[in-house]
Amino acid sequence: MSARPPGAAPPNAPTTTLADNPFFVLAVSTEASRIEVEREAQKLLGMLELGFAEVQHYATPLGPRARTAELVRAAVAALRDPYRRLVAELWARHAPPPRTEPATREPAAPTHDGLRRALGWRP
Amino acid sequence: MYAMPYLAMQWLHQAAINARRRDRRGHYLAWSTLAGLTNGLMVALATAFVVFLWSVGLWWLALPMVAVLLVPPAAETLVRRVLAPGGFHRLAYHAGRHSRPGADPGAYALCVAAWAARDGAAIAWVEARRDTRKPLGDAEVAATALLAAGRGDTATARSLLRSLTMLVEDHPAVRELAGEWLACDAAERGAWDELAADAGAARWPATPLTYLLEGIAARRTAAAGAPTARELWARWLVAPRRATTRRLVAEALAAPAPASVGHNPADPADPGDAGPLPRAVAAHLAFDSRPATAAGLAHTVRSWDAALGDATTRSWLARRALELDAPAGAVDRALDEVAGAVADDLARVAVAAELGAPPDVGGPVGTGLTRRLRHGRLDALEAGFSRWADRRHGNTVLPAIDEWREFIALWTAYNAAAAAGGLELRRLAFPHAFSKGNHMAAWLWNKREEYALSHAISVWLLAEALVVGDAEAIEYGHRNCALSVPTRLGRIQP
Repeated sequence: MSARPPGAAPPNAPTTTLADNPFFVLAVSTEASRIEVEREAQKLLGMLELGFAEVQHYATPLGPRARTAELVRAAVAALRDPYRRLVAELWARHAPPPRTEPATREPAAPTHDGLRRALGWRP
Repeated sequence: MYAMPYLAMQWLHQAAINARRRDRRGHYLAWSTLAGLTNGLMVALATAFVVFLWSVGLWWLALPMVAVLLVPPAAETLVRRVLAPGGFHRLAYHAGRHSRPGADPGAYALCVAAWAARDGAAIAWVEARRDTRKPLGDAEVAATALLAAGRGDTATARSLLRSLTMLVEDHPAVRELAGEWLACDAAERGAWDELAADAGAARWPATPLTYLLEGIAARRTAAAGAPTARELWARWLVAPRRATTRRLVAEALAAPAPASVGHNPADPADPGDAGPLPRAVAAHLAFDSRPATAAGLAHTVRSWDAALGDATTRSWLARRALELDAPAGAVDRALDEVAGAVADDLARVAVAAELGAPPDVGGPVGTGLTRRLRHGRLDALEAGFSRWADRRHGNTVLPAIDEWREFIALWTAYNAAAAAGGLELRRLAFPHAFSKGNHMAAWLWNKREEYALSHAISVWLLAEALVVGDAEAIEYGHRNCALSVPTRLGRIQP
């Protein structure tokens, strides 16, 4: 049985990008120390358990996402690992500011439903 | 002697129509106007003559004169305004035959009957007529496409109508119908770029409606040579269904010029002078938030490749890895992981939007994206071509139209794979496609006598052979493509 090398992500660990970035999940700065991260995680877990409305979502550059206790535990575990924190920082430091309002997708070119029929063709 | 003015009008009308089919510039409107005037004069002369015969008691002569003189100039309008939209497929067929659509009037008649067909019985009637016409030509393919459109299967209709350009048999009246359907379809979907490209390449002879929609597309896309407002209103005046198209013209004239694709300094998410990594993230977010385009994909891939290959990114990562006490090799692993995650995400969007890998991208994201888009396509292509050619050895003989549909499906898959995998994949895929396709083309020519279909396959194989530089296939291709093709319009020497 071979041991996982130190710092390597577990095989099924999700790839850190923007939507699930631990810094956004925990709402901490990329400069936050390990103690600050742990303290914030504990606070969030407590508030989630008590059902506080203001912690049910977290802001990301893609818009708000739902926050769960599992996500918070996974985020704090990721930031304890120096390699995974490095990858998370690479995304979070260079991303635009998180947004609290849902992202709007630009519509495709406006269509004219029923135009073909109006011009004599079917359907 | 008394028939001379009518015959002169008829000759002038056909000359104006023929000239209009060749011309997409300023003279188009003049030819259209002349065609309309001569048609009106023919109707007026024929009506006057019939009324005269009736008034002097020669009603028995007036009736055949209606059929000979009045029906042909009125039939085209009758088909387009009443019979096809009303679903009178048999009447549309016979009126189409008598509208003097050129050589082989049955071709145009078949298409207008398919346009009019509504229920199962009508579709079966059109299909039976189609299957009696051998070998397969552009009218049979167009009729099948219009039947599919009538059932609501617009994707099949689009694909079949677009395939007409590969067939050497060319009925101008049929091509006009195909071009008009595709123009109306593109306008409904808001695919103005597609329509402008068709107009630029003059793929179809334009009806007045097609010509108007092409002008609107040119205005919408700010294409070179787009008509002025006055020219566009003139096209509108000549085209039918003005009540419907007035709104389209007004929208096209009011629409702002299209925004440039890719890096847009006015974009609120644009990080401006920030480093390459923030620019790449911003490009990725912008690509995700808009309808996916090839240009947007290429811009995002290039931004990421520039960012991940940049010395400042690597030095920042190395410094942070040291500060965080990350394990050895963390910088390279992090860069690989980010490139992989980005390529995965972009590949997902590219597959959904049927986009190929951008050309000339050699960085970690570009290479990864190309590999992901190519994955599995070569095997699927080879299996498809093998299945197609193996049918030749069994007794599974499909109707010619189904042979054509099967080839079009393979051709579409080949083009999609070539777009995604580039020239490298094309070189790998071509030998198998050539081997199978060449045998099928020979079989269709020699055994099935489907000359136009076989010729189209040979022309495509030759074009591909020239792209990949296969000398043997080029020699075969030139020999096969030089054969004159028997069609209903006579032997065509390519």
